[in-house]
Amino acid sequence: MIVDSRTMDSAEEESLLGQESEEENSELSDDELQEAFAKGLLKPGMNVLVDEPKKFVNNVEGLKHCLAELRKDLPWVERLDMTNLPAEDVFSNAEGKVPSVKNGAINADDDFQREMLFYRQAQATVLDALPLLSKHGISTKRPDDYFAEMSKSDQQMQKIRKKLISKQLILEKSEKAKKLREQRKFGKKVQVEVIQKRQKEKKAMMTAVKKYQKGMTDKLDFLEGDQKKGKDSSSSAPQGANKSAAAAAAAKKGPNAKRKYKDQRFGFGGKKSGRKWNTKESHNDVSGFRAKVANARGSKGGKKGAKGGKQNKRPGKSVRKQIKSRS
Amino acid sequence: MSAFKRKRGRQTQADRKAKKAKIVADGGEAPVDADQEKNNEVTIPAPVSSGRWKNKERVLIFSSRGINFRTRHLMQDLRTLMPHAKADTKMDRKDKLFIVNEVCEIKNCNKCLFFEAKKKQDLYMWIANSPHGPSAKFLVQNIHTLAELKMTGNCLKGSRPLLSFDPKFDTEPHFALLKELFTQTFSTPRYHPKSQPFVDHVFTFSIADNRIWFRNYQIMEEDAALVEVGPRFVLNLIKIFQGSFGGPTLFENQDFMSPNMHRRQIKLAAAARMREKQMVKEMQKMKKTEAKEDLTKDVTADVFLTPADETHVHIQMDAPEPKVAKKNKHKAFKRQRMARR
Repeated sequence: MIVDSRTMDSAEEESLLGQESEEENSELSDDELQEAFAKGLLKPGMNVLVDEPKKFVNNVEGLKHCLAELRKDLPWVERLDMTNLPAEDVFSNAEGKVPSVKNGAINADDDFQREMLFYRQAQATVLDALPLLSKHGISTKRPDDYFAEMSKSDQQMQKIRKKLISKQLILEKSEKAKKLREQRKFGKKVQVEVIQKRQKEKKAMMTAVKKYQKGMTDKLDFLEGDQKKGKDSSSSAPQGANKSAAAAAAAKKGPNAKRKYKDQRFGFGGKKSGRKWNTKESHNDVSGFRAKVANARGSKGGKKGAKGGKQNKRPGKSVRKQIKSRS
Repeated sequence: MSAFKRKRGRQTQADRKAKKAKIVADGGEAPVDADQEKNNEVTIPAPVSSGRWKNKERVLIFSSRGINFRTRHLMQDLRTLMPHAKADTKMDRKDKLFIVNEVCEIKNCNKCLFFEAKKKQDLYMWIANSPHGPSAKFLVQNIHTLAELKMTGNCLKGSRPLLSFDPKFDTEPHFALLKELFTQTFSTPRYHPKSQPFVDHVFTFSIADNRIWFRNYQIMEEDAALVEVGPRFVLNLIKIFQGSFGGPTLFENQDFMSPNMHRRQIKLAAAARMREKQMVKEMQKMKKTEAKEDLTKDVTADVFLTPADETHVHIQMDAPEPKVAKKNKHKAFKRQRMARR
């Protein structure tokens, strides 16, 4: 039996006046209990004193009264207050996302959404208030040369700027590093591929050369050149082998005609090292000695004499021109 | 203090000139520029002193003892942002709360923001209309001050704010009362001597999760590009009283759980979990150590028994016939046999 200590419901008045309650709470005095018993409110069994569930005060009348007293009839200019919903979310509407806020039930745990809602509420206020402010002659933009004390000192703003810049730098660095890593990976891949290709070609070449060396000339199909290329359409010789075979053929034919001509004219370009060193034979070789030229040095005007003959052999430029124009 | 009696609300010549200089604390160029600008441009607002300061709102911001650095910075930030605010020394904890009313009267303030720190952990804020008016007590959480490097905006010191309220403030009577209190407390009166003529920041009061969230944004562009400036905090309403720091309760927040209760609940939850674990362990122990009954009959003994079919019992009476041994079986070798095959 639970008896509410404060508001005892007037239960049905039964004639259960037989047994008194065993448990008596010390808060209720005997007189009170007797009275309650007389009224028939107490029922047999254990009566436990129970606290009413706490009623939260919500004195609406009082609140309204207070508000009326507190209110000061000030023009809007003095108060500058606005009430509005958050402004339209342009970005999420553009993306086609359905706004997840229904009936203003903001999810306080979703930080980003919450802060965006506050931001948009402020934006809506600003947009609504600007025309009103301009009507009253209050501007929100400061002229450039209006110097006044700010809430945060210049030092503080410097710190903030530095922090932002450093953050950006870190971001850029990490981006660069990532790109570099990617490039390196890519470059490595390309390098590996090229090396592999080269190795394959080399291998094919070597096999072709070996075949030639071993005398399996009839198996080589590059000697005939064009004749066999057409016939051999179905042959399974790989492309690499063909190429290297062609190269071997070219090498076999000997040097180019051009090379031959140059060799003829300018001598054999080739191994230069060691060619012009003085050896015993070259030292003893006196075939290049002309006694006349050597001995005629001292006698006639030295070089002029030596060179005069040579010069006399060939006429000068102007004479040659004259001869040319004449003939 | 000048000898002659200052007329209240009316600014003397000297004060007017002094005020112009006061506004510009850092650079001395503004007055000249203001004059020039007056001539050149139409959009420059009138200097502050040209209007009369009529709305005499003064807010007293102070705290009790035992506050930590964050609260102190928050108070300083509020004093910076609100030029109509006054400071006072810390109040002793021993004094009763209604002494705050007397302090307000001494300082000639009609609103009060009183910060109270308990257990060096919890911060409570009282906002009250000083002589007779209502007051409210909040629990303050999630404080971020002006000095945090993530708050990148800046605003003029003492410029008037725009106040932005959530429409939910109009739905409930207690919210409406709070809205009126906030408006009167936080809005800087027009033509206040320490105020700046521009409006360049917005205070936002929003309701989420049954709490009031406060934000301060700087207006960067005319198209409402905003940057967060100022302190931010969350207010959790506890009670609203009819009188200032006392009086009958007008409203009590049902969802409010005091920080002590909150901590207690966490501890209880942890304790309950531990107790459950203990109980489970004990049960397992008991199971292991209790006497197990010996089974006489193995129920699973004849699972794999497959009874064979019944066969007649055949008893041999006669002896078997003797085997005939074959002799001289000339068998060819295996290989040849296989080959033949």
